[in-house]
Amino acid sequence: MSVSTPALPAARIRAALASRRTRYGLLTALPVVIYLLVLFVYPILGTLALSLKDEQGGFTLHWYADTLTGINLSVLLTTLRISAETALASLVLGFLLAYAVSRMRPLFAALAMVLVVAPHFVSALVRTYGWIILLGDYGVLNEAMQAVHLPGAPYQLLYNEIGVVIGTTYVMLPYTVLLLYGVMRGVDRRLLAAAASMGAGRLVIFRRIYLPLVAPGLASAGLLSFILSLGYYVTPRLMGGPNQTMIASLIEQQVTKDYRWNGAAAQGVVLLLITFAGLLLLKVVGSLGASAKQRSNS
Amino acid sequence: MEHRFGRRALLRGAGGLAAAAVLPSLAACGTGTSRATTGGGSKTVIVRNSGGAYGEALQKGIYTPFSKETGIEVKVVNLSGTQMLAQMKQGRPQFDLIDNSLAQFARWVPENVLEPLDYDRIPSFKSAKLPENMVEEHVVGKSYYVTLMAYSTQAFGNKAPGTWADFWDAGAFAGNRSMGNPDADIPELEFALLADGVPMDKLYPLDVDRAFKAMDRIRPHIKKYWDTGNLPGVLLSRREVALSTVWHGRLDQLIAGGAPLAYQLSGGRRQAQGHAIPKGAANVDAAYQLIDYTLRPEVQAGIAKFYPANPAVAAAYDKLTAEERAKLPGAPEFFDKGFDVDIDWWLKNESAVSKRWREWARD
Repeated sequence: MSVSTPALPAARIRAALASRRTRYGLLTALPVVIYLLVLFVYPILGTLALSLKDEQGGFTLHWYADTLTGINLSVLLTTLRISAETALASLVLGFLLAYAVSRMRPLFAALAMVLVVAPHFVSALVRTYGWIILLGDYGVLNEAMQAVHLPGAPYQLLYNEIGVVIGTTYVMLPYTVLLLYGVMRGVDRRLLAAAASMGAGRLVIFRRIYLPLVAPGLASAGLLSFILSLGYYVTPRLMGGPNQTMIASLIEQQVTKDYRWNGAAAQGVVLLLITFAGLLLLKVVGSLGASAKQRSNS
Repeated sequence: MEHRFGRRALLRGAGGLAAAAVLPSLAACGTGTSRATTGGGSKTVIVRNSGGAYGEALQKGIYTPFSKETGIEVKVVNLSGTQMLAQMKQGRPQFDLIDNSLAQFARWVPENVLEPLDYDRIPSFKSAKLPENMVEEHVVGKSYYVTLMAYSTQAFGNKAPGTWADFWDAGAFAGNRSMGNPDADIPELEFALLADGVPMDKLYPLDVDRAFKAMDRIRPHIKKYWDTGNLPGVLLSRREVALSTVWHGRLDQLIAGGAPLAYQLSGGRRQAQGHAIPKGAANVDAAYQLIDYTLRPEVQAGIAKFYPANPAVAAAYDKLTAEERAKLPGAPEFFDKGFDVDIDWWLKNESAVSKRWREWARD
């Protein structure tokens, strides 16, 4: 991805603009660029401006201080914690599932993928009430566990962090599975066979051949689900307790209850910055992986 | 999203373009509305309500018969409070009449977005004899919604919890509880104080410290703080909890379907709902006519038939059967056993109390 820096960037740009292809490209990109500028960049700049204004319209950092102290900070940390737990859980489960699917025959693999993705077509609210029926004190799971006299049953699987992570992981699973499935399909199985022919055990093959090959996929799947989890709103509210309040809930409450749009804007900006940091990390990990590959190739 | 796009585009269109050419196409998208400002004799009125089963009841009990009588078409929009406020601040509300809680309206009065009401234009107001706290400069009351106690009839043998002290008594009434989250409604401190022995007529100003101390006692038994209106019903019928606070009316469908649940009609917290006209409304005349129509006793009784909203006009209860009245906490039989929320107190304290609640609820 690295580009050698040109001696004269201006001249280079002018040369590029002169090319017909570039001009055509710019022209076709124009509607999308305008669309994004008007409907995405402009509102975000507006949010940024709002977060820096006090009630009289002057400049203040008060809202950011407010966001990063007291209960707001603890909600922000909860958001990061639950997102990390979700990323980890959906990565582990997603890895196992994607591995199984990648070893299936194409027809079954397609079927399994439909099953993985299908929950996304169900409304979040309906899905979450489904969880209550499944995970409640008198839910299917607890009744079954009590029937086999599992010690400690019934377990509290709802209205705490376990409940939230079960719910959020379930939503994230399709993303990690789809991503990892693609990466795993791309693994050259002859490499594994070659390793086996040289006497490597299954564990060694997995650790030294397979894992490094899918590592970039793992990193991006994990970070992706972390970033997506930051914005969770419905699931933590329905499946968690007060200790699982996430920042999206707090923003909503400030906008609709307290009419404190400046505070909500500051929280939104902080959330956006964390997301950007995550994306940046994703890029860094990606390019590190690419350069590592280059090194091993040369 | 759609609304936002529509409004922005609308404003830009109004800014100088040939508005006549732009607006119909927007209206065709179903997002913006082109509104010709009409003086008297307008044939449409656009009402905002919160929708759902309550909205359906309003349609059947008020809007449809109103249209039949007056020939004025009633259109309904379901906008959130934030959306409404944004539209009103821009001076071009999409609606002519708002159906909302008086507490919500009270927060908008300082924003200067509501039209002061001319009570001379509401002929039925005089005979309606509304309670004092339902008559404001910008808002006129229409009905009550009530937050009260509900329980599973199978949880306590043949005992039934009667008071908030019973709700707090986890020994005599063992089982998990659910109470409201400030995301849903104002915190339920009144119930804590009633359970702690404060007389109903001495509730306000609320002793916040004492209330939170009482909340500490019940906290270990609260499994979930509900934040949507239908959650108490789900929790109760799934036996996740045995007792819950609930918005009256939300369990009716479950009970009709055979769920072993019941309301305790005493001790409820009444919150008034009413009508207000936004500044910049296009069909003010029709809005007044609809307000007037709503305050007739027979229309008031009609709403209660379709949904257990409690009429604000006392005469309406005479038009209901004893059986119908027995389901309404606002009926004369129960009225004195419940209390009105003090909007002014909450207006001053809600923000601080909700914040304290959130800190209290987290470990």
